[in-house]
Amino acid sequence: MRVLELEVNGDQVEVGAPDHWTLLEVLRYRLGLYGSKQGCDKGDCGACTVLLDGEPVIACLTLAALCEGRRITTIEGLAPAHVRAGGRGPDPVQDAFDRCGALQCGFCQPGMMLSAWALLADNPTPTRGEINAALSGNLCRCTGYTQIVEAVELAIAEATGATPARPHWAKHESTPPKPASVDGREASR
Amino acid sequence: MSVQSGPQWKARSEMKVLNTDVPRVDGPAKVSGRAKYAHDIRLPGMLHARLLLCPHPAADVELLNVEPAKRIAGVVTAAELADRPDRTIFLGQPLAVVAAETPEAAEDGLRAIEVRYREGGWAVTPEQAAAEDAPRISRRQPNALTERETGNQGRTERALEGADATIDETYVVPVQHHCCLETHGMVVDFDGERARVWPSTQAVTGSRGEVAQALGIPADRVEIVCDYMGGGFGSKFSIGPEGLAACQLATELRRPIHLMLTRTDEFLMGGNRSGGRQRMRAGASLDGKLVALDAEVWRHGGIGRGSNPGQPYIYKAETDSMRIGSVRTNTDANRAMRAPGHPQASFAIESAMDELAYAIGMDPLDFRMRNLEDPVYHRQLNRVADEIGWYDHPNRETPGIPTGGTNVGIGFGVSTWGGGGRRVCVVTVRIDPDGSVTSSAGSQDLGTGVRTYVGSIVAEELGLAVSQVTGRVGHSEYGPANASGGSTTTASLAPAVKDAAHNARVAFSERLAEWLECGPGDVVFANGEVRSGTNERMKLTWSEACSILGSDPIVATGEWQSHLQTSGIHGAQAVKVEVDTETGGLRLVKMVCIQDCGLPLNRMALRSQINGGMIEAIGYGLFEERIIDPWLGVALNANFDDYKLPGSTEMPELVAIIDDDDERQQVIGMAEATIIPGQSAIANAVANACGVRIRSLPLTADKVLMGIQEKA
Repeated sequence: MRVLELEVNGDQVEVGAPDHWTLLEVLRYRLGLYGSKQGCDKGDCGACTVLLDGEPVIACLTLAALCEGRRITTIEGLAPAHVRAGGRGPDPVQDAFDRCGALQCGFCQPGMMLSAWALLADNPTPTRGEINAALSGNLCRCTGYTQIVEAVELAIAEATGATPARPHWAKHESTPPKPASVDGREASR
Repeated sequence: MSVQSGPQWKARSEMKVLNTDVPRVDGPAKVSGRAKYAHDIRLPGMLHARLLLCPHPAADVELLNVEPAKRIAGVVTAAELADRPDRTIFLGQPLAVVAAETPEAAEDGLRAIEVRYREGGWAVTPEQAAAEDAPRISRRQPNALTERETGNQGRTERALEGADATIDETYVVPVQHHCCLETHGMVVDFDGERARVWPSTQAVTGSRGEVAQALGIPADRVEIVCDYMGGGFGSKFSIGPEGLAACQLATELRRPIHLMLTRTDEFLMGGNRSGGRQRMRAGASLDGKLVALDAEVWRHGGIGRGSNPGQPYIYKAETDSMRIGSVRTNTDANRAMRAPGHPQASFAIESAMDELAYAIGMDPLDFRMRNLEDPVYHRQLNRVADEIGWYDHPNRETPGIPTGGTNVGIGFGVSTWGGGGRRVCVVTVRIDPDGSVTSSAGSQDLGTGVRTYVGSIVAEELGLAVSQVTGRVGHSEYGPANASGGSTTTASLAPAVKDAAHNARVAFSERLAEWLECGPGDVVFANGEVRSGTNERMKLTWSEACSILGSDPIVATGEWQSHLQTSGIHGAQAVKVEVDTETGGLRLVKMVCIQDCGLPLNRMALRSQINGGMIEAIGYGLFEERIIDPWLGVALNANFDDYKLPGSTEMPELVAIIDDDDERQQVIGMAEATIIPGQSAIANAVANACGVRIRSLPLTADKVLMGIQEKA
């Protein structure tokens, strides 16, 4: 057992945990941060992805004790960080995932969004190949990834003021329906 | 439309909410990480539980002593499962359970259990099981049993003799896993009188009864909560042995129990799509008719029966016959998995159709259409052929030959499904005096978007925005609902939501008619207002209208209305693939799926389902296969590292097309159909590219390369 001094989502926290615990265990079993999911517990699925000093890491393979003195960002921390940085509304990556319908069951999404977020922080205008490569450690069984990539491209377009590329399927929508609005969240078209 | 008439879907052109892209109402909860899954439930005093699984395909349990586990630090109890057998019959069969303060203490407890097995004779492959000296897996019947015969085999034999071209080939499909990102399991909180349970389930209503039985209390004392669940795909209908174990512990300890399977347990005992072997003897005439098909179909469902709808699948043969049965092995029983049996059947028939087409020198697209009676398929195949570039493709009547470089091929497949509903759901719509509207159904949202349409159908009816109606699902107190399986949710639930919305509108109209100085049938709900249809100056804002209710909310229920739904859907898919003829490596370039579904409720969710169907077929076609060592009886890839799921870099351009030429004004479930033909189209595309026909899934590079070498 030891007392860890961690910086989680901008907050300094002291938490007691066994020496061998992973960061995922500390997040989920001590700090009540359940957004980081436990999908496989051996580094294969990416559902537990969090950011360590801005870099995506697999929390289930990261020793919590080694995270002292480093900035830990979980999915719960993205929106507050956006607001602290002077942003308004939701975090642009989370918002784009929502508006593009880039999720079904949603279990893989927190990890997926953090991988996408880290990519865009590092490279604001990645190619589609670079997006796919950045997300390749995050498994999704539901969506077919297509709308996930659309979401990342929407976030890029909105950050750079560019027009997002028309999705492959758009030309098959003979009479493009007007997107319904939910709390001002319009679907991306 | 008069309110006195029964519920009817509006014309599509009049719809403001339905048939548009509606963002999920639970999207913000999911993207923010706030959405809580069973895995995430934490209760005061809660214990974590783990199961002990038998590591052998079959064994006599000579000794099982859980006492040493109880002496492990953090372990609270350990117990043999109530129904544990003396002899196990499948690899991974659960035997005992440990509850502890932490998951790792529970795992320590498992390791401390004293257990001695005497490994018995077993069979983990169908070949082993079908051997003459194979150990008997079920006492009641032989391992390999033909269960049903159809058609007149003698007549088919004669037709085969008279055919211009015949094939006699065997097609093999492996066992595929569901791979829900959230494993199976539940949290159960039982105080001896009442229970609150959070299962990861496809069946909120069904779970209530199962839990009640397991705890030995009446169902009305069980509350099921499943706000979010991390994927099911057919594997999460029952609470399963893991749910029963959780209930057993909760009964003994009266403390909340959290029992979620580990990923390895999930692979071993969480169900699967059955494998199979299908021998297809088929004949065609030179004018492109499938004149005869004799099929021998074997399902490989472990200790289960497996699934396969039989042959000929979708296509029509002039004469056909079939023998269908199953071969049991000492492996986990198959469960329903998205379109149970259909992808298996599709792989055999679509491959055979392609082989026959090339045998008579006919364009395989043309050959398909000549043997598909339903004109919908003709339209859909033409559409996907156009989108994939078939009409500009060089290898249309003859497959390519390996060039030493990259060969490009295109393949096709079609799908079918029922997708109709049944009477079970009761939905409640409530309009409160403060203007809030709730629509509640004891159904569940597996990620398909059920919660969104439970609200948006009501919004459409009342002329409100989606955000003005709260759709509530995932709670047993919200009324009975069917399990989400067989794509029956939409056609069972949406009509009941519509009926409840209609009844709420009628009831509200009666209350408002006097205020609007018109008859109840003339009250119009549109654009967030309620007005008189006869005098446009008589109108109320939504909140004004609701305030008239005083302290009496409108509460209306709705039931299934058969005329609002129907069944019977069609789909077609096309795939373009690049084959590296030097290495056998495959790269999918593009995949197109067109799917009809009657009246679309939410186009964005529909496209997501279509994309999701395509990717599961890509996994089935290219990567996924459960492997158990036939000599050691050990699972070799019960994890996400060795069991390969498709990832983002393996995605081709996916084109999801909603078939708007389907003008049926009734809802139909559609998700299952989208997974059916993809792997078949991929195999056909490989054959089209380089003439190498792979008759066993997955289409790995080694198989393709061997095929290329055989040709050379």
